[in-house]
Amino acid sequence: MSSALWLAVIASALGTLLMRLLPLLWMQRHLKRLGDDDLEAMPQWLGLLGPLMITAVFGVSLVPTRTDAISWIATLVGLLATLVVWRRTRTLGWPVAAGVAAYGAAVMLVAWGT
Amino acid sequence: MSLQTAASPTRPWLTGAHEALPLLGGYVPVAISFGLVATQAGFSAWEAVLISTLIYAGASQFLFVGMVAAGAPLWLVVVMTLLINLRHVVYAPNLAPWLPPSRGWPWLMHGLTDQVFALAHARLPQLPASQRLGWFVGVALLAWASWIAGTAFGAVAGGELITRWALMGEILPFALPALFLVLIAPRFTSRRWSLALGLTTLIALLLTVLGLTNLAIPLAAACGALCFQVVKFDPTAPGERHE
Repeated sequence: MSSALWLAVIASALGTLLMRLLPLLWMQRHLKRLGDDDLEAMPQWLGLLGPLMITAVFGVSLVPTRTDAISWIATLVGLLATLVVWRRTRTLGWPVAAGVAAYGAAVMLVAWGT
Repeated sequence: MSLQTAASPTRPWLTGAHEALPLLGGYVPVAISFGLVATQAGFSAWEAVLISTLIYAGASQFLFVGMVAAGAPLWLVVVMTLLINLRHVVYAPNLAPWLPPSRGWPWLMHGLTDQVFALAHARLPQLPASQRLGWFVGVALLAWASWIAGTAFGAVAGGELITRWALMGEILPFALPALFLVLIAPRFTSRRWSLALGLTTLIALLLTVLGLTNLAIPLAAACGALCFQVVKFDPTAPGERHE
């Protein structure tokens, strides 16, 4: 890799780190200035945007690797299994395991049947 | 791995690492793909691993090696990489109220990916302040290590791995949407929130299907926020418990 390419890697890495880091320092200063370390001190738009960004990442991640009918059906089956187990257990690990298992079972069943 | 319980008081980092395990289902296959794509684009295995170690941001890394391989000007490669990662600016401020004072936090922000943010946003408020740093270290380090290790695997043996374990590579990434669903499900507390969250999901999904993955996250979140601000339901109506 040429030195120019290394510089591009370092600039991208540093820029990404600063985008993750500087807003933290700004917010910490903001909270300190208000002398209030709780959610009341957080701008309302920011508190709204956090959960919505996670939801948007969820929407993006829903698109399967192969966008055929089998994968979409398996996605629905997997989501349903995840939701059912989450409602019963209210845990983090079991619903994910159940969702992956159901998704895998659906993919393999359909692949086996065709 | 309960959403309600605290971390182990003596080893919160272990609880963090344990709770980050579902992330690996999504990270490792994508990291293997990146290692493979990077070597196919002319980067050596070490270079691919270093890119994953230093930049550590999935989509932008694929763009980086793709643009370099296509001969794009390097300044444009950097600008595009940073533009894709711009969404990260809202993550840390959302976590700030739950981060107890420590000099370690600025360094740990290197590990604040989409997935780590989603997990931390749900879990940090539930943990005692004394356990949050350790918990975050466990989550961030395991996720980072899996991304680096996956890249190395992909760069060295990606072609063979993908041929032999094609179905696993297709199934394991479902861990990510399953995890995100568990993290956002408790937020469907009112019709107003449900509408905003549903709309955000739908827009992000549609934009991704249309091939606009990088635009999908900020645009869908902005539409969801607009919907939340504009649409207001009668608070006395059934289903409007609290917001």
